[in-house]
Amino acid sequence: MKLFCRMEIEIQLTKGPIAEKISPPQWWPSAKTALGAWIEFRGLVRDEENGGTISALEYEAYPEMAAREIRRLIQDISTRHPCLAAKVIHRVGIIPVGETAIYLGVAARHRAEAIALTGEFMDGLKRDVPIWKRRALPIDFVGDEVTSLTSKKSETPHVVSYKSLDEAISEISSSCQPLPPVRVPLEESFGRVLRETVCAPEDLPPNDRSTRDGYAILADDASDNFQIVDTIHAADWKPRLLRRGEAVRVATGAALPCDGVRVVMQEHVERNGDKIKITKLESGSSLRKRGEDVKAGQPLMKSGVRLDAGKLALLATAGCTQPLVSPRLRVAHFTTGDEIIPPDQTPEPGQIRDSNSILIRGLLQNFSCDLDQKHLPENFEAAWAQLDLNRIAAADLILISGGASVGDKDFTRPLLERLGFETAFSQVNVRPGKPLIFGVNGSRVAFGLPGNPLSHFVCFHFAVATALAKLTGEIAPKFMRGRLATKLDDKPCPRETLWPARLEFLNGEINLHPLKWSSSGDVTCFAAANALIRVPVNCAELEAGAELEFLPLRSMMGS
Amino acid sequence: MRVLFFAQLKDVAGCAEMELAPASPLNGEQLWKILTEKIPALADHKKNTRLACNWEYADEQTVFSGSDEVALIPPVSGG
Repeated sequence: MKLFCRMEIEIQLTKGPIAEKISPPQWWPSAKTALGAWIEFRGLVRDEENGGTISALEYEAYPEMAAREIRRLIQDISTRHPCLAAKVIHRVGIIPVGETAIYLGVAARHRAEAIALTGEFMDGLKRDVPIWKRRALPIDFVGDEVTSLTSKKSETPHVVSYKSLDEAISEISSSCQPLPPVRVPLEESFGRVLRETVCAPEDLPPNDRSTRDGYAILADDASDNFQIVDTIHAADWKPRLLRRGEAVRVATGAALPCDGVRVVMQEHVERNGDKIKITKLESGSSLRKRGEDVKAGQPLMKSGVRLDAGKLALLATAGCTQPLVSPRLRVAHFTTGDEIIPPDQTPEPGQIRDSNSILIRGLLQNFSCDLDQKHLPENFEAAWAQLDLNRIAAADLILISGGASVGDKDFTRPLLERLGFETAFSQVNVRPGKPLIFGVNGSRVAFGLPGNPLSHFVCFHFAVATALAKLTGEIAPKFMRGRLATKLDDKPCPRETLWPARLEFLNGEINLHPLKWSSSGDVTCFAAANALIRVPVNCAELEAGAELEFLPLRSMMGS
Repeated sequence: MRVLFFAQLKDVAGCAEMELAPASPLNGEQLWKILTEKIPALADHKKNTRLACNWEYADEQTVFSGSDEVALIPPVSGG
């Protein structure tokens, strides 16, 4: 039997797609002459996982051990079912529905042992080989994003990876998946993203209604004098048929008594007891038709909108009291840097007051988050010892302020990597905010934000806000176009600049006022900024009236 | 000793790996004791988790020492 154990076995774990066609003759020169059967098996990703419809599965492996276990498994099975050769390819990372997760090719003298080996191998794989389905990606995960994720190249560790602004935003966008939605009472939904389309349960308004205080008469009744036969208040429901010469007193908002009526304003009649005489002919019917706002069954609100007070009111109108919404995000925020002191203390030379903690807290206010904040010492091991790993493990989003550069004390990247995050990029070609780190660990993401307050502010709005939008299932913030109201004076810069600005509406046009700003430590422009102007590379100055892209800062719009 | 966490255990531990410096070689029970002291949430997963030492599943006789790569393997789901 030992003789047959000398199988040729080839094993690959790959992040890319597995080829459509793998032909046997080139594989195994030594098996060529003895080859009588060649069995191929492909395990595909199905569109269903745990009862839900999915668009992709993400696999994780312990590669060294997985390869050894696969080899051990095949050698063990081949003592009972001797075959000539086998090739195993297991794909890891994100695999879209319909694509191959595992490929097994078995060559043997006869089909029986090849089929037997295939069956036993797949059983053994699912029992012993350290490969895991890490998570299922929901169906609203767009196909293009699946493609861009799976074609993502893995980064060599500790190499600074440099991205343009657009690349960084698109990388963040494709790395963050919407968290599974939850159903909560309306009162708890403020700031969350609606994750289902809500349709009108009935016509709105539910019946023809008067828009005036006045008298309902038949639409084609040309009489001058009318007998008042009833009164309908706003809350009443009193259907009745009207005859010619009859009028019903109606209040604004009252349901009209029947079809085919119009309302004459009370100012246009002369009343005498229970009789009225029309004094002025009016055009129009002074009523809102049933279903004029929205018809029963039509969408009232689409999935993907963040719920503010007005939207909650509309959901209440539609009787949607338990909307399906994004879960509350769990955010862990750490500040670093020994020069940082609490804002209620007076800085000594070299020290600055911490403004980033309250900035982050304020910016997250609109996003329905549970925020944990903590200051960490600059020493890596000391900082590590202070981390509550259970709390970090529960966080959907981790933010670290400061320590994002590559100085000796800048530990953000090693810290995130020890926490299991893979660094997607560590610099962005943008001013301010160049040293921005973005890390991904399964469905969780982390940012290392540069410590300078203005860099912080800018990075939050183009990077963290994108992640927050994607994690909660919202449409991410987008650049818009507007005009410069005043000249923008700048030195040519080899990086794109996101310039703090004040956005104002003037005669229906968007006007952008660039704010005074010189360095990334500059904090005075915070108070007024509600937009970031995108200044192209090497652009020295821009005249008033120039049309430019800008990012509106939704969180600052109230100011 | 390098200890690796995979799949859901990575979430439970909050990290992909940690470094341990045991004073003397450990058996499986002793290793679990240290791990659950450091990360109490792991205790809930002990029943379903297999230990591996240097890329092989550990058995009752396995001894874990300073230079080993140890991995916690939760139930697998490949294929």
